[in-house]
Amino acid sequence: MLTEGQVVGHECFGDEAQRLRRLVLKGPIAKSAKPGQFVAIQVQDSRVSSFDPLLRRPISLAQISPDQDEITLLYRIQGRGTEILARVRYGESLSVMGPLGKGFSLPEVGELWLVAGGIGIFPLYALAKSALAQGLRVRLFWGGENQSFLESAGLSQWQALGVQMHLSTLDGSLGQKGLVTEELQARLSQLLEQTKQVGQSSTGQINVATCGPARMMQAVTKLCLEFKVPVEVSLEERMGCAVGACLGCICTLTDERGTLIHKKICQDGPVFRGEEVVWDVSC
Amino acid sequence: MSLVDLATSIEGMTLRNPVLTSSGTYGFGEEYAAYCPVEALGGITLKGITPQPRLGNSVPRLAETPAGLLNSVGLENPGLEEFLKSYLPKVRKLPTAVIANISGFSLEDYVEMARALQRDSGLAALEVNISCPNVKHGGMHFGTDPKSAEEVIAAVKVETNLPIIAKLSPNVTDIVGMAQAVQRGGADAVSLINTLLGMRIDIDQQRPVLANTFGGLSGPAILPVAVRMVWQVSQAIDLPIIGMGGITTWQDAVEFLLAGATAVSVGTGNFVNPQAPLEIIQGIENYCEKKGLASVRELVGLAHKGLVT
Repeated sequence: MLTEGQVVGHECFGDEAQRLRRLVLKGPIAKSAKPGQFVAIQVQDSRVSSFDPLLRRPISLAQISPDQDEITLLYRIQGRGTEILARVRYGESLSVMGPLGKGFSLPEVGELWLVAGGIGIFPLYALAKSALAQGLRVRLFWGGENQSFLESAGLSQWQALGVQMHLSTLDGSLGQKGLVTEELQARLSQLLEQTKQVGQSSTGQINVATCGPARMMQAVTKLCLEFKVPVEVSLEERMGCAVGACLGCICTLTDERGTLIHKKICQDGPVFRGEEVVWDVSC
Repeated sequence: MSLVDLATSIEGMTLRNPVLTSSGTYGFGEEYAAYCPVEALGGITLKGITPQPRLGNSVPRLAETPAGLLNSVGLENPGLEEFLKSYLPKVRKLPTAVIANISGFSLEDYVEMARALQRDSGLAALEVNISCPNVKHGGMHFGTDPKSAEEVIAAVKVETNLPIIAKLSPNVTDIVGMAQAVQRGGADAVSLINTLLGMRIDIDQQRPVLANTFGGLSGPAILPVAVRMVWQVSQAIDLPIIGMGGITTWQDAVEFLLAGATAVSVGTGNFVNPQAPLEIIQGIENYCEKKGLASVRELVGLAHKGLVT
């Protein structure tokens, strides 16, 4: 749907140096949105219409609050579009298309492991909330540049959720020093050992959902396949129409017969099963 | 009830209003259904098809420019056979004029597709794309050489009883010469303009932004070029013109009509505002009413006469 989202919150998120913003929009989208879906926002100063930048900006849903009719978007200012978006003030409204795409699937039982790289954490927060509401156990693996980044990008909100966390930073300032995938691998190996000891053949009811840089998600997928754990990945690409009409944001997948096919990230995704994705073409 | 008659016709194709959507920006007609009811539109032009399926170019396929968009999709499409099997049965039922768009790499390609698409297919017209800039020899050769353009239009014309619309490339020295050539070939109308060839370079990576290096520029940035070409061509040929290139608002559409276009088509503008076609139809109607015109047809080419009161 196309709606006017009223800005009921827009502020700096964390340390200003990280250039993160939290935008809360009021409107009917929250009632039908699912974690992993996104909205396409027209980025312009509402007082002066302009076609520069021309395209809407796709932004994932960090929080969905149907009772308040609110969606929360977290984004990083990293270009002209987000620079202009950041100037939008409380009480103004933005043209919003959405909810768009297909989100993460929520397993009915078991544990949901979330693996985030950098600001790929944002859509996983909405997913964690839904999973917890459904009674699933949630575990977070999150890697970022340093402590300042993780603290700015919502660490305290995650702590408040009470989920188990495995943090890693490139400089070792918080959590393990290194990549998030190393933590994931360690934990998967440990789990496999435990299940072997109790005589089970698989790691049981674990599902993984990941969002972050493509190379990271590729590595996560590889690990999950190795450990026979289902994994869903959220892909990203420059988008044009955001509804599947222009074929600007395709990704390459393999179908059941192993044939290379294209899917539209905006409409068929952004969430896909990790094993479907042909990474070396997509990233 | 409006006092303005919005209906128009293009050589055998009747349109309830002069606002269409452009090939490659509107999928196969269903993608925008939640935003813009097709029955409100004059018509839609489907994504271009080729005889064989094509995966198209690698990503990135898009690059934004000031008030514009570069694309290098590369004619990704399911191919003629799959189109006939899976898409045509659905699109023919859409309550609007549906125009198929065909592209090819040889004269035989165009002939094969024209032969397969006839009036009884439920289509309203066939747009012959001789101007795709994103594929090597992707019809562009037919769109830059007048003799080839005339030949390909003449060849499809004898194969199908559907009206033939020639979609012309702006990437030529003499657009008028091209339009005259397709008129000689027997085209029933022309679409003006396809995208302008361009590129951008990522200065951090020091590489072209698009995987395909070049892409076609669309969006408001190209509007003045398109209006100029419609203006020139309308003076030189007798065929109706479907004007397109950067139309995002009703004011843009009115410019094209005044320049000599019989109908207009919204492309990239749909990405900006998925309800743009609806707002444009309404805007044209209001404009005609305000100017005391009984029919939108009276607007066509009016600027040439300098008679707008």
